[in-house]
Amino acid sequence: MTTAVSQSDEAVRFPRPLRLTFRDDLRSTLLSWFVKSFLFVVTFCSVAAVLLIFVFVIRQAAPFFTESGVSPRERITEFLTSRRWFPEHQAHPEYGILAIIAGSFYVTVTSLLIAVPTGLLAAVFLSDIASFRTRQVCKPLIEILAAIPSVAYGVFAVMVVAPWLQKHLGFSTGTNALNASIILSIMAMPTIISVAEDALTAVGREIREASYGLGATRAETLLRVVIPAAHSGILAAVILGMMRAVGETMVVWMASGNATQIPSPWWDLSQSVRTMTATIAGELGEVPQGTIHFHSLFAIGLVLLIFTFCLNLLSEHFILQMKKSKR
Amino acid sequence: MTLWRQIKNAFFTALCSSSVLFLAVALMLFLFPMLWKGSKAVFFRKTVEFDKMQKELFKRGKAEDLERRTAQTNQARREALDLLEHFSRGIDTALLSREARSAYQQLGRHLRYLEVADEEYARLREQAKEIRDAFLQALDTVDKAEAESLLDTVDAQRSNSRFQNSPFEIVFSLSKQYRQILQEIDLSRRSEYAAELDIVKTEMRKLFGPLPGESVPPLPQDRFGATRWDVAQKHLHYLIYQTKWVPSGKDDKRLIPKQIRRDDPDEGIFGKTELAPLFSMVEQNLAAMLQPRPTIYWRYFLDDSTAGHYFGGAGPEVLGTLLLTVLSMCFAVPLGVLSAAYLVEYAADGITTRVIRTCINTLAGVPSIVYGLFGLAFFVLMVGKPCILSASMTLALLVLPVIIRASEEAIRAVPQSYKEASLALGAGKFRTFLTVTLPAAGPGILTGIILSLSRAAGETAPILFAGAVALGPIPNIGLHLKWLFQPTRALSYGCYDITVGDRLAMQVPHNQFGMVMTLILLVLVLNLAAIFLRWRMSRKLQGI
Repeated sequence: MTTAVSQSDEAVRFPRPLRLTFRDDLRSTLLSWFVKSFLFVVTFCSVAAVLLIFVFVIRQAAPFFTESGVSPRERITEFLTSRRWFPEHQAHPEYGILAIIAGSFYVTVTSLLIAVPTGLLAAVFLSDIASFRTRQVCKPLIEILAAIPSVAYGVFAVMVVAPWLQKHLGFSTGTNALNASIILSIMAMPTIISVAEDALTAVGREIREASYGLGATRAETLLRVVIPAAHSGILAAVILGMMRAVGETMVVWMASGNATQIPSPWWDLSQSVRTMTATIAGELGEVPQGTIHFHSLFAIGLVLLIFTFCLNLLSEHFILQMKKSKR
Repeated sequence: MTLWRQIKNAFFTALCSSSVLFLAVALMLFLFPMLWKGSKAVFFRKTVEFDKMQKELFKRGKAEDLERRTAQTNQARREALDLLEHFSRGIDTALLSREARSAYQQLGRHLRYLEVADEEYARLREQAKEIRDAFLQALDTVDKAEAESLLDTVDAQRSNSRFQNSPFEIVFSLSKQYRQILQEIDLSRRSEYAAELDIVKTEMRKLFGPLPGESVPPLPQDRFGATRWDVAQKHLHYLIYQTKWVPSGKDDKRLIPKQIRRDDPDEGIFGKTELAPLFSMVEQNLAAMLQPRPTIYWRYFLDDSTAGHYFGGAGPEVLGTLLLTVLSMCFAVPLGVLSAAYLVEYAADGITTRVIRTCINTLAGVPSIVYGLFGLAFFVLMVGKPCILSASMTLALLVLPVIIRASEEAIRAVPQSYKEASLALGAGKFRTFLTVTLPAAGPGILTGIILSLSRAAGETAPILFAGAVALGPIPNIGLHLKWLFQPTRALSYGCYDITVGDRLAMQVPHNQFGMVMTLILLVLVLNLAAIFLRWRMSRKLQGI
């Protein structure tokens, strides 16, 4: 009882007046406004960074399209529809990236063909099948798989996978589209698994329980109910995995063989291809700044940037849809 | 029907489990060979040559101990090296002819010294020249009978008293040596012998360093023999075995390689020569010649390397990576944490916030090579040249979204009651954030920082053009901050360069994989730390 009294005494002797003066009020209002705008400016750095990336890549790519003597229209047509990439040719340099885009397409699609089914099944395992303890083990495993640097995967592809492919599958070269795709699929999988798992978890217990209650097995519940319900999140996962595969540089540069060609016959993955990222990484270090070749590499970068930006907007759309349907 | 459904269900379960198993196997298939091959850069059996290298290039080790071991190994090597030298005189006639020529020149000087009369001098010179030429001809010819008759003309002058006790006497002993060699080797195959002997000599140099009498080679990698026992074994194999292409069968014309010993009495090229004992001698006494000892070369992570990473370690690369990552964190962490604070505490759910979020997502999705382009077009332009500063700013931008997301999640996880308590005590919003929310979210933010450290350490594409080099001076860190403006080596770029770009590094796979192992270990340690931190946090939240 006595302690309570003494505590209330302390409260009475609280040093600050409870009613604020006008000056105090003004000060704290100004301070909080200042802090808020400061934080806003800091946060705006990300927006500024995105803008700057676009501005500077476009600025460096622009001379490629506005070079005197060539109409921009012809340039763009050649750029996107020609297969001939000879930027170093003295008299008639040619800047067609169709084969390079096709190369990116090849390794991305092939890697997704491996990564999406496996990743999806793994996500199902983590969300619906594994016990808590198993999850505790599997999650770090996937995290480590995601954390291994791409250049280390690249070394692995060149020094281990390529000789193996050459020896056991009889390919003429070990650094080819298949090699790059295998490694890319391993790299894209962690992204796909974690986003898809989120999507599957977001579907909620009630829907699953309703399905089980109707007598469906686990396979039926997942395949017919949960996965269809989570389709937008799964699509987002696939798109994010695709972004990872398209944007990957070191692995494809080291493992894809870097031959500017569209494989013929088209399904022959044992041939070398060259991707957009590898072209930039391989050539930018060697061209003098300010040449058309230099700017053309920024143009490739711009194509890449626009492509991933669109994919990103698409994935955001799907994630938003997922969140809406959850509500 | 039910059975069929149950089978399907079991099959589906198995499929899902096996896909996770597949991932685990993939991870093992990756980690095991990379770490195993890389570990050989640190754990291996060193030879006495390794200690010599360490002494000369890194000024390490006890001098007297090394001297003792050098004497021991030289003792063990002497016989083999003498044998090689003696034999090579017969094949490598250039040596013999050089000695004969120099003997002839020295004779001139000798005669002048004795002040012989001019006529006598001319006569003796003429005579000596004839002898020399006969000897040189004998060296050149491939006809054994002709060579012997030429040597006879040389030997006929042996009794000439004017040549006795003069420098020219050597020519007669050379001729005697050569006559002996003539009995052993087939002159018509001399060029073949010479080519093979060249290989043998090269391998002996790789095993034991420069042969006696040779000058010190300019390149460090030629100055020492095999520094590692496994490399020594490899070169021993090359020394002993030659590859012969033989038809695979009686009817089959295709040629297949066959390994035969060089001292094989029937097939080996040196089988019937004086050199034959060399091979078994080296094979049996290699351990005595090199003195292998197991070692843990932990300085691999600190040592500088010689050109092409032939000797030494990955020290400058580790340092460069640490500099780049820590510096990039200096930029990214304040930005990231404050952005997260704004997004959680202040941002209303309006159009501005949505734009900001989209931009952060975009930033996370921009391909790493585009960051490289941007780093070149913006940061390098801003700073003036590719350097540590521009590279770390590029990396900072790359990890910014990672840090923002991790911090946001951590800040959101702080219970609302903490903040309410602080606000109720009269603290302002920002003060509450700084003194209550931030410490509570600390471990979560730290996890994010550790993960982005590992991401920044591993990225190669953004720093390709923004400040990473394969060869360069070690940054001299100090308060003068000049080191910020110089390019640096980095582990990630080094891994790329050592695998694809550097021809010399191909010869030392242990160093090549050692660098990759260092990078993987760095990333693994950081990730395990993050995993551990998160595990402790989750225990805390559960109240255990």
